[in-house]
Amino acid sequence: MNRLHQLAINDEGFIFDPLTGENFTVNRTGLFIINRLKEGKKEEEILQELIDEFNVSREVAERDLIDFLEKLKSYRII
Amino acid sequence: MKLKIGISGINAVDNPGPGVGVAKSIKEDKELSAKIVGLSYDAMEPGNYMKWIIDKSYILPYPSADHNTYLNRLYYIRENYGLDFVMPVLDAELPLYLKYQKELEKNGIKTFLPTLEQFKLREKDKLEEVAKNIGIETPKSEVVNSYDELVKAVEKLGLPVMVKGVFYKAYRAYTVQEAVSFFNKIVAEWGYPVILQQVVSGEEMNVVAAGDGEGNSLGMIAIKKMWITELGKIWTGITIKNDNLLNSAKRFIEVYGWKGAFELECIVDLNNNKIYLIEINPRFPAWSYFSTGVGVNIASNIVRKAFDLPVKEYRDYPAGKLYIRYTDDFVVGIETFQKLITLGEN
Repeated sequence: MNRLHQLAINDEGFIFDPLTGENFTVNRTGLFIINRLKEGKKEEEILQELIDEFNVSREVAERDLIDFLEKLKSYRII
Repeated sequence: MKLKIGISGINAVDNPGPGVGVAKSIKEDKELSAKIVGLSYDAMEPGNYMKWIIDKSYILPYPSADHNTYLNRLYYIRENYGLDFVMPVLDAELPLYLKYQKELEKNGIKTFLPTLEQFKLREKDKLEEVAKNIGIETPKSEVVNSYDELVKAVEKLGLPVMVKGVFYKAYRAYTVQEAVSFFNKIVAEWGYPVILQQVVSGEEMNVVAAGDGEGNSLGMIAIKKMWITELGKIWTGITIKNDNLLNSAKRFIEVYGWKGAFELECIVDLNNNKIYLIEINPRFPAWSYFSTGVGVNIASNIVRKAFDLPVKEYRDYPAGKLYIRYTDDFVVGIETFQKLITLGEN
């Protein structure tokens, strides 16, 4: 089940899922990724934006992105 | 219309009755401009002293005692103060009100309650049938009356298992020894039978709602408890939007033509897209003010329906609203207590 689109997300990284009542907090990077996922962007696009935004190597950005996506999958958010 | 509305369960204690929340909801409907009559069973029930919510209080005999005495007490209140409607909210008094609802109405006191047939749907051995009819599931369960039956039930259901009283208490047992100990505890306090129930995975979510007796909803919200007390009572909760859960409650109202307030306790397993019905409470839960707080005044809609006043149609409510219960205190003179003790009213 894709719960991503129903999430209420604020600017500070507080995320509320109205289906389950669960809430999560994410850091700036997590918020950056999750907002782009909500916009429907693909992994490759997000990766490039991460590299540009945070000025990090492709390797670092890719590792962080994959880690975070796995985390979202484990919570069944994506 | 200045209605006088009697509400029981005004024992706002650590295991709170639903009455004060219901009274607050009715008071908030300014168009009703109702006076609340507190129907209490003990002079110490805090609602007796909460004058800003409960306008007048009476001590009632226990509903388990002689029914005529109980009814006569209600008629006394009607004669001396006025009593147009009674909203009973305690399990122990519901059978009496269900039995005499027509007689009360004939004598000028309205209620808005399920029929005896509908009331029986809340019995634990009916849950499976109800769940099936409203399109959800229920955990497997076994009714046990002895040690031998208990052991057999554990073998059948597996561990861990929930050990529950028919009306109150529920414990999770991880071993047979634990199950035996909880079984003995429940029997000592509440008697037989005891129910053993399969443990299902998921999150507990609840719905408070009311049906108009004609298959329509008078309002509903779904919530998740975020923080509970040692007695398992909600202390913090949050509104949620789970369409499957809300649709189950709608079907319950439609299929059974449910009349009056009710609460559905469910376990929602999102991973497997399943909803398990755990319990039906044929009355308001103690947290029912939560719905009023998010704009769905179920209690006042019940009163409106009972008196053929325009019913409010609630189509939606916000998810992510928090319910906060807190303790408070106040000081009063001894007069109220004296009156309750000596006159049975204040």
